[in-house]
Amino acid sequence: MSNFSVILLYFDPGLGAMIVQGLVAAAAGILLFSKNVMYKVKSFFGIAPKEEDTFDSIDIEDDETQENDSKK
Amino acid sequence: MIPKNSTHQASFRDPSGYMFHDGTTLRRAVNPIYFPQYEKLKSSGFFDTVIKKGLLIPHEETSVSEEQIILTPEPIPFITQPYEWSFEQYKHAALLTLQIHKYALSKGFILKDATSYNVTFHKGKAVFIDTLSFDFYEENTPWRAYKQFITHFFGPLILAKYHGTDIFKMMQTHIDGIPVKLIASLLPKKTKFSSTLFTNIHLLAKMESKHSEDYKAETKVAKLSRKAQNNILDSLFGYIKDLKVNEATEWGNYYDKTNYDSESFQAKKGLIREWVMDLKAKNLIDVGGNDGTFARTVSDQLEHVMVTDIDPNAVEYNYYQTKQNKETNMLPFVCDVLQPAPGIGFNNTERSSLIQRLKEYAPDVTMALALIHHVTLSGNVPFEKSAEFFAKFAGHLIIEFPKREDSWVTSLLVRKREFINHFDFYNQDGFEQGYQNYFDIVKSQPIAGTQRVLYLMKRKTA
Repeated sequence: MSNFSVILLYFDPGLGAMIVQGLVAAAAGILLFSKNVMYKVKSFFGIAPKEEDTFDSIDIEDDETQENDSKK
Repeated sequence: MIPKNSTHQASFRDPSGYMFHDGTTLRRAVNPIYFPQYEKLKSSGFFDTVIKKGLLIPHEETSVSEEQIILTPEPIPFITQPYEWSFEQYKHAALLTLQIHKYALSKGFILKDATSYNVTFHKGKAVFIDTLSFDFYEENTPWRAYKQFITHFFGPLILAKYHGTDIFKMMQTHIDGIPVKLIASLLPKKTKFSSTLFTNIHLLAKMESKHSEDYKAETKVAKLSRKAQNNILDSLFGYIKDLKVNEATEWGNYYDKTNYDSESFQAKKGLIREWVMDLKAKNLIDVGGNDGTFARTVSDQLEHVMVTDIDPNAVEYNYYQTKQNKETNMLPFVCDVLQPAPGIGFNNTERSSLIQRLKEYAPDVTMALALIHHVTLSGNVPFEKSAEFFAKFAGHLIIEFPKREDSWVTSLLVRKREFINHFDFYNQDGFEQGYQNYFDIVKSQPIAGTQRVLYLMKRKTA
């Protein structure tokens, strides 16, 4: 076992669940693309909704000065 | 070496390490099998960032040897379980899990498991508590915790959308999450027309049953690009973020419906504050505390406050206020006093019962306001029995007794119809007698303008 090998799974991820992810991703890709287009169209007309939830985005900024969560 | 009997009851599934009790301190041991991952997570600054962002519970490295690394995580006063969360809490736990996995992926790691027990609520918000849940990402591999995420988070949330948050209680009977097939069968047919629900649930259920007996298939390795995996995460995140549950709400106007005027409301608040401050209490639980209105009259004096209610909407509203006010010492959760969460999982100890957790939490003050008439008259629980329940964890008990003349009590009694005589025991004497089996009455005070009496009791020393 090399230093960077992955620990063997201690639970069964389910083969079906591993295979299906390709299809899930394809459907998600199409959906995200169309959402993105809609968003751009709406922004162009200035009607895109503003979001201000603490969970507004999945992405964590690498910027260390900013807390992810404004509640702190 | 750590004596085996001090290991945490829930900590045995992952060979990477385990939690153990060192006296009263909970620590985490890291096994050599996980050293490479741990070192990389630490040296790359991954731990630093996710801790700084408040996503992962902070920890200190206590000792390092060739056999073991010992970490001491920041103590969490009380762990709530997924079946005790309101909808918004459940949602935030799910979103946090996706956030943390996506960030890990961008740094060459993955979340290797995505159970809902890896998240709890601390300092007013969801936090990830399993420090060893990360592993190296291998390029072009699918997310192996994907199914777990569906059975622990996405499935329960979607089911709650259609059937109400009571569905979260199914997590009590399915410690590994609600089986995908079951989720699919409980969803309305129209969900097949949503591309997100069709692929993530119905198609997944189909693929799972198709491949369930395909034991030799390990050689067939499914591939998935990093970009594709990010698409799955982004779309799940977006979908969950917009999820709403439609349940009749009571909390909005609960205090308008109560039968006392604002003067007696203030009188009750004043009494509670005075008594709690006299006790110099540090932590408190308000059982049946609705949206936390009364707990908030003293929360500024306390280190930690918990408010539980049977009504998920009240808990939801409390959680909402906690976030709005940026309160860090308030923990709302759902609990039915007549059926508190049992101990579940292996040995029935993997996830401990509510009573067990409350014993360990050992609140200085337990409040039960406007609760006893429901427990006694709706739940048919004799006074002695409810006193026994409170005595299991309550040192001091502030309990409100509405007399027979109180309009709520009258209405509950009327509903007993021809059995109304069976409830003749419901009176102040009967109440005091029942509770004196377990408690000494320190003081009692009628609440001005009401038919209610507030008691302060102290548990008898056995």
